[in-house]
Amino acid sequence: MAVMWSRLTCIGLLSRGQRNLSIFSNPSPSYWNKVVSDAEKIVGYPTSFMSLRCLLSDELSNVAMHVRKLVGTKHPLLNTARGFVYESRNNLQMRGLVVLLMSKAAGPSPAASEQLLPDMVSGIYPSQRNLAEITELIHTAFLVHRGIVNLKEWTNSDGPLKDMQFGNKMAVLSGDFLLANACTGLAQLNNTKVVELISSAIGDLVQGIYHENSNSTEESNLTVASWEDQTFLSHGALLAKSCQAAMELAKHDKEAQTLAFQYGKHLALGHKVNSDLQPFVKRGTDPVPFSLDSAPVVFHRQIVGPERWLQQLQQVKTITRQMDHTKLWEAIKSEKGVSQAVDLCCYHGNKALEAIKRFPPSEARSALENIACAVTKF
Amino acid sequence: MALPSRYCWRWRASVTGFIETLTGVSGRPIFIAAAYLRRPGAKACLEYKIPVIGRAVPLNTVSSPVTRHRSRFLYHTPRVCCCRIHSDAKLKDPFTLVQNDLKNLYEDIKKELLVPKAELKALCDYYFDGKGKAFRPMIVVLMARACNIHSNKEGNLLPAQRSIAMISEMIHTASLVHDDVIDGADTRRGKTTINEMWGERKAILAGDFILSAASMALARIGNTTVVSVLSQVIEDLVRGEFMQLGSKENENERFKHYLEKTFKKTASLIANSCKAVSILVNSDPEIHEIAYQYGKNVGIAFQLVDDVLDFTSCANHLGKPSAADLRLGLATGPVLFACQQFPELHAMIMRRFSFDGDVDRAWQYVLESDGVEQTNYLARRYCKEAIRQISRLRPSAERDALIRLTELVLARDK
Repeated sequence: MAVMWSRLTCIGLLSRGQRNLSIFSNPSPSYWNKVVSDAEKIVGYPTSFMSLRCLLSDELSNVAMHVRKLVGTKHPLLNTARGFVYESRNNLQMRGLVVLLMSKAAGPSPAASEQLLPDMVSGIYPSQRNLAEITELIHTAFLVHRGIVNLKEWTNSDGPLKDMQFGNKMAVLSGDFLLANACTGLAQLNNTKVVELISSAIGDLVQGIYHENSNSTEESNLTVASWEDQTFLSHGALLAKSCQAAMELAKHDKEAQTLAFQYGKHLALGHKVNSDLQPFVKRGTDPVPFSLDSAPVVFHRQIVGPERWLQQLQQVKTITRQMDHTKLWEAIKSEKGVSQAVDLCCYHGNKALEAIKRFPPSEARSALENIACAVTKF
Repeated sequence: MALPSRYCWRWRASVTGFIETLTGVSGRPIFIAAAYLRRPGAKACLEYKIPVIGRAVPLNTVSSPVTRHRSRFLYHTPRVCCCRIHSDAKLKDPFTLVQNDLKNLYEDIKKELLVPKAELKALCDYYFDGKGKAFRPMIVVLMARACNIHSNKEGNLLPAQRSIAMISEMIHTASLVHDDVIDGADTRRGKTTINEMWGERKAILAGDFILSAASMALARIGNTTVVSVLSQVIEDLVRGEFMQLGSKENENERFKHYLEKTFKKTASLIANSCKAVSILVNSDPEIHEIAYQYGKNVGIAFQLVDDVLDFTSCANHLGKPSAADLRLGLATGPVLFACQQFPELHAMIMRRFSFDGDVDRAWQYVLESDGVEQTNYLARRYCKEAIRQISRLRPSAERDALIRLTELVLARDK
């Protein structure tokens, strides 16, 4: 306990003054939080202590000690570490929670023997709890690996290169550590189909993240269809395949597996479009920074066509070659990109609802319905 | 095997103690050079043997007799063995024995790396260019065939066993890609590293992708025990890398730490891959243990020799600059042994050779000491244990090739 306490305090030291930093922002927090905390009650206890074991390990206490040296530098690992402490409730455990709810909603397999039932806690098999945790470990590992800095792009004005090298080292090691724990956890599930499925989700995640930042250049011709494919890889595959794997662990049939996959996929895509829309739907006239990869921008580009888009980009370039987000934000808001993205968000939310409604009615199913609805609320 | 009488072993008892623990359940403890541990007056000799080394002395001008002595010690003895074995017609070269099985190894690995986008594909394929030694797949295939013959099966390689050979090379490569980012390396096997070409971020992702592909291939074998055995490797690799971050103040612990790290970073992959192929053909735990122990002992010996070569090989030989480990702040076998004769090294080890001139001075001390010989001697002990283990299998060309392989491990100079 003492170890964890000291680690939390030392990460806490880093976060002073930056409490509101979020990894990805949430839709209307109060409604979302209510849906999530209601859902957490349904699954009994939320985790299987795998992440606690990770957190208490010598390796991660080592990292925590070293990360302290990064205070005051600009390495992204710092923000990620802050996120672990301050955002863990709402964001980081979301995927695990959905996997647990899905397990409970599907219930024990019709083919399962009576003897297996006593193993279930709150209607969830221990292996499914482990799977939920593994999903979180993988997600967290890639949050960390996303924050690796390319040293050649680093200029001296950004700060000392040595700090960045050190930050990278820590980020590589801690991400690898989480992934390795996910691998051994997967092996212990004793189901090679699940190992294959989740390993393929890791591959998808890598492919999605690999191209995450390469589209922000003006030259790329990103269509809405290819945007969706890529967003599935980077944001949907892990949840979809984990939901499917939860069905496989309880020996549910192909149909249940497909439905669980569909729910996970559409929920994740809906959630992504929703958070992409936040800068454009928030009340108030102050523009909020947004990514050029986000759904409303991709729709906007498709609407105005490549030539006018390039023109608009040229117009907002200031003398310093920095983007003037305000003008672009206004240009995007004046077109139909935002409303089309809202439609897309609702489409995915409804698809998720459609899939989950095919399961028998239960408390867990209603919670999953509520989550799917929350994704379409702004 | 006469050695100069300037050894000083202050921690003899504990050294044998921890090697005992490392050799595991069925292995007899390896005693390090018990004969020259018991030299009376060694300490007295040490006092006047410590040379005064100036910072500016160029390395190649001093102690050339020592260097010559060392190289004879290093390479001559094993070569004699090689000649003897070459004349023996029954023993085939390990490389020729596995040639057929490994013919399309790299092509098949590339087929496992399914990526539609060209750039990521190029990164993933980068080190599978057929120029690697395929050292791990070779051991795995030989072990598989030796176990098959032992188990009254035909010697034929099972498809799942060949998959393990591929997976072992994939896991190894994925870890190399990440290690290069951690160490900031710019060349590997004479090629520019991935991180140098495409940046750190993409290099890490490529490593992750290779690992996920390896994990999928592993799952497709469909054997849960095999999945567990090789997942352990991935965990060991990371834990080994973490162990490299810290150094121990206490000298006994430091050597134990070094050998444990060596096991995790290098030997675990070989040991567990060997174990996996034995599991696939035989259900007897004793056979699994033989395979594991052989792989573990050869793996540790391989890394010990690698650590020696970091001091003795010239810059372009190993594909990385000499004394690379020192530059990274790492104290390997030769330095730890040298520290026995030159306690001045202790402070440098603790500060990870970070002061100006530390690397040169440490290198000098190592060359002046018997660190290189001691490390080689230790490697030979591990190889002997590997041979003892593998000899428990029924005789076959593949088993004998595994025995011969230990000599190649000791004799390699790159």
